Amino acid sequence: MSNLPLLLESELEVRDQGVSEFNSGTPARSWYHYLLILACIIFAAVSVGFVGTILWNSLPTWEHHAGTLLGHTGWQAPNGPFGGLAMIVGTLETSIIALVVAVAIGLGTSISIVFLIPRRFRTVVATLVELLAAVPSIVYGLWGLLVLAPWMLNTVNPWLNSWPFAKEIFGNTGQEFGTSLLLASIVLAVMILPTFVAISREVISVVPQDLIEASLSLGATRWQVIREVVLPTAKVGLFGATFLALARATGETIAVALVAGGVANVQFHLLYPGTSIAAWIATEFGEAGHNEIGALMALGTLLMLINFSLALVSRWLVSRQRKVLAVV
Amino acid sequence: MSDIVEIEQPQDAGHEMRDEIRQISDKFRARRQLRSRLMVILCGVALGVTAIPLGLLLYQLFRRGLPVILHASFFTQLPATPTLIAPNATGGVSNAIIGSLVLTAYAAVMAIPIGVLVGVYLAESSSKLAAALRVISQTMAGAPSILMGLFAFSFILQDLHVGFSAIAGSFALAVLMLPVIVIASEIAVRGVPNTLREAGLALGAKPHKVSLKIVLPAAVTGIVTGIILAISRAIGETAPVLLVIGGGYINSWKPLDPVSALPLSIYENAKSEWPSLRTEVWGIALVLVVFVFVLSLSARIWASRKQQAR
Repeated sequence: MSNLPLLLESELEVRDQGVSEFNSGTPARSWYHYLLILACIIFAAVSVGFVGTILWNSLPTWEHHAGTLLGHTGWQAPNGPFGGLAMIVGTLETSIIALVVAVAIGLGTSISIVFLIPRRFRTVVATLVELLAAVPSIVYGLWGLLVLAPWMLNTVNPWLNSWPFAKEIFGNTGQEFGTSLLLASIVLAVMILPTFVAISREVISVVPQDLIEASLSLGATRWQVIREVVLPTAKVGLFGATFLALARATGETIAVALVAGGVANVQFHLLYPGTSIAAWIATEFGEAGHNEIGALMALGTLLMLINFSLALVSRWLVSRQRKVLAVV
Repeated sequence: MSDIVEIEQPQDAGHEMRDEIRQISDKFRARRQLRSRLMVILCGVALGVTAIPLGLLLYQLFRRGLPVILHASFFTQLPATPTLIAPNATGGVSNAIIGSLVLTAYAAVMAIPIGVLVGVYLAESSSKLAAALRVISQTMAGAPSILMGLFAFSFILQDLHVGFSAIAGSFALAVLMLPVIVIASEIAVRGVPNTLREAGLALGAKPHKVSLKIVLPAAVTGIVTGIILAISRAIGETAPVLLVIGGGYINSWKPLDPVSALPLSIYENAKSEWPSLRTEVWGIALVLVVFVFVLSLSARIWASRKQQAR
């Protein structure tokens, strides 16, 4: 996902109107122009095909079993009923917990990298963070399954359960492999941290130095500068970083498939196994028959809906913010 | 003497007030500084909390992976299934390494030309089509990768009746890479100074000549950086290839053969009951991470060279 900073850059960039050398009234349109248009048509066709194919394949399920998919639990292969509520709830739980943890810790980390650590280490740390953001998610999943899960099972779960009321909140330990919704949230948080830090560090480090110096000269303390000047100035970019991290967390497939436990129950006790939409598609697809594939495709459209609306909301927030900034 | 007393009188009055003000401001400054110090320490703690799991991850990856990849057979042999008689016979992962390279190569061949051309069009045009494609590419760039797998499954496998194959996986990866390349190329082409274009046009060059011979060469570093980043993302993706490549246990370059891939064999080995396979998996992960790191670092170095050249 090392393209995320890049993506943000393009989203935040204030666009000029294009060089428009092709539509500046030059009558002679060359083969090159048509080649570009052809490429655009192929790209548009692929994109439309992408959305259309998944929608088309899920249509039978939406027509006949929409209520079951959205409101029921229990996944009876091969012929249904296919209830998707457990996956929807699991997706929301894991990604929201992961997001809260990652944003809180990540913001502190970015501030530390930009303002606190010695200047000569900054480039090294920033490079390291970007490399970590490029580590494939399967590696985070692997680490979660082979290192964190035994640790959760032997150390964390007993410790959590030694607290009063913890059993009522988190559920009982006794899970055989240590895989749980809590572990999935932790792995997701660790996974989206580098992504969030990579972008928010970039966003924070471009806050104009004059603003910071002006505020310091008025006697503001270091925290006041950060809170009153740096964070408000970087707000748009931080919004963007948060939404990209959330989109990544909701769409993450393979890491969650490895560490969430893969049980289709609506589960609010976080130490019990659960699953997410994307992880469920990945684990069930291999043995799925025709009907089940339709139901999985319907889950896919749901995931697409969540993801695309997140993208739209972040675009809207960023553009609104830019307008506000422009007025001020 | 009396003059001096008269002058000191108002000073003294101000002095009292100044003391009072100083007291108040000292009190607030102490509070502000305490608060500032606390929050700064908290930020430092956050840095530590970030560093510990990520550092542990890298450490354990190298610590457990290095012993595995030091055997030549790891790279040259096909995977073997451990048995009760030979529980450590894991073979190698040559099929996954070749599979990953083949998948990424075919995907790159499909995605790069279209991606770069679309990026150039987006940068140089202000039409409605360009605006729409820009929104599409940004939305697609963030789409969950499992959806590319669903798309490839229903289009290549169901509609075109091609079996589980390398080409189906490459198609999924190409869909994944396309928007990244489009966005990177657009940014790169936009970064080319207008003076260059105008100079070319002023000399009487046709627009397409200007675009091909002046703008593209000037933007090539940015485009290549974007392509490398797209490839490094594609090579590590598990979800899209999981559904369609079939996980073949053969070394094959042919597009219609079922192949394996590094992330896929990590996924399968990690779930295995055999301790020997769960040991081997760290080696596969290390190879994959080294691939990705080399790609990302070369992209960074390439990009910084460009900045120096300017």
